[in-house]
Amino acid sequence: MRLMSRSSRILNALSAVALSLGLLSIAGPATSATPAGWLRLAHLSPNTPPVDVYLYSLGNPKARVVLHHVSYGTVSPYLRAAAGVYTVEMRPAGATASSPPVLSTAVHVHAGDAYTVAGMGPAKGLRLQVLTDRLTSPPGHAMVRVIQASMREHLVTVRAGSSVIGTKLPFATATAYRAVPMGRLTIRAVGENEHALSTVTLNSGTIHTLVILDRSRHLGIDDLTDAAGTRFHPRTAPETGLGGTAPPRRPSSITWLAFIAAGLLLAGSGLVRFRRSRPSGGSGGSSLQASTSESATR
Amino acid sequence: MTRGRHASRPGRPAGLITLLAGSLVALGGLAGLVSGAVTSGSGYQGGPIPHVHAPRGRAAMLASASQDGQVPAPLFLVIPAIGVHTRLIRLRTAGDGSMEVPQHANVAGWYAASARPGAIGPAVIAGHVDSLTTPGVFVGLKYLRPGDLVYVVRADVSVVRFVITAIQLYAKDAFPSAAVYGPVPYAAIRLITCGGAFDYATGHYLSNVVAFGYQVGRGYSRHRGHRSE
Repeated sequence: MRLMSRSSRILNALSAVALSLGLLSIAGPATSATPAGWLRLAHLSPNTPPVDVYLYSLGNPKARVVLHHVSYGTVSPYLRAAAGVYTVEMRPAGATASSPPVLSTAVHVHAGDAYTVAGMGPAKGLRLQVLTDRLTSPPGHAMVRVIQASMREHLVTVRAGSSVIGTKLPFATATAYRAVPMGRLTIRAVGENEHALSTVTLNSGTIHTLVILDRSRHLGIDDLTDAAGTRFHPRTAPETGLGGTAPPRRPSSITWLAFIAAGLLLAGSGLVRFRRSRPSGGSGGSSLQASTSESATR
Repeated sequence: MTRGRHASRPGRPAGLITLLAGSLVALGGLAGLVSGAVTSGSGYQGGPIPHVHAPRGRAAMLASASQDGQVPAPLFLVIPAIGVHTRLIRLRTAGDGSMEVPQHANVAGWYAASARPGAIGPAVIAGHVDSLTTPGVFVGLKYLRPGDLVYVVRADVSVVRFVITAIQLYAKDAFPSAAVYGPVPYAAIRLITCGGAFDYATGHYLSNVVAFGYQVGRGYSRHRGHRSE
């Protein structure tokens, strides 16, 4: 039940995000072939009302992306961003784009890297934190980190199966990534008064962030996939062709040169034979008969 | 006399015939050499590109970090730029640890151990460049260009749209497994076929053509927008 309400809530939030992306992305993120990194935006401050999140590339006053009415617990999809420096600003939901932002921070996006920019902390001490997201995991393992975004429980201990991911994590902090064995794992988040349980499937080659959230009545765990690879890496390159459109097999130039040489030899020997068989001293006009008799004489 | 005729006659015509035959062989060799030099590397030059429309349907949302496992299965692949419109079969991992490839050259397959198109991770799709005699479904893959769009229609009739970023040719013994199959933070697509030189001794191509792309979501697709620096 808990899961159901959680996913539907997140889906609603995501639809809202997608909708605002659709309506308000002013310019796409550079051309598809330029080196790019990835950026996602999150609201993880429990007592901060919904915000509008603006993404600018440095020096351009026009927002590249605006996410409207982003509420607590929302994490946007990763947005592709050409390598460079960006500014993220937060304004109260509905505030005009020209109004001064409540918060802003700069993010340096490197090609091939991924970042989460999250509004964290209590409303009064709200700050934008830039987290670098991991994109690789050791073979046979998944990587897991925790963002502790519960304010009701100031210290939370989180376990994935038998591995401890973080002990007494303070509110508004994030752990480093930890390798855990792949498989279905029970995640336990335990605070002083509340706790939460969630079962997640951690495939090999996946990287996850577990977000500990304040739900209306209890602690919640949101499992985010930061990155995923194929569950198995095939050992050989695929054989996807049988040659029907390949250039036809043709003899190499050496073969042709051999043909020419053999032909010349043959022609040469023929020529020699032809000349030898001519009547000695005979003129070019000698008839077949003459030649015949000449040979006969010999 | 008779004997004399027999002894003497073959000399001249035989010599003449040998001369002519030798010249013909040499000329043939020369012709072969020249034609080989002129047309070497030819083969299938590409037929007319069939006209294929982008599929209509509800555009899929950008892959989200929370939606894993809720993404519908892929059914069709459409690539208007190279006239591809194919059903997608499922490819599993074969017993020898390789990826299965489609049995028929005219259909592409989605690797079931890879991400579903539109979920975070690389969605791997393989198709043949040719059969023994005919062009395959991915014969035009090497002609894709960055910016070309690729569509996958899923079981719920939603359409996932990808934009191509790169097309690369890799020798099979240097196949970039990590780049193709490794983790990515977004919904990616990898289209794979064969290419490069064909080895008649083994009956296989020596290289793979791989096209890389990423999902563009609802409205978030104007990639030729201005750059702001």
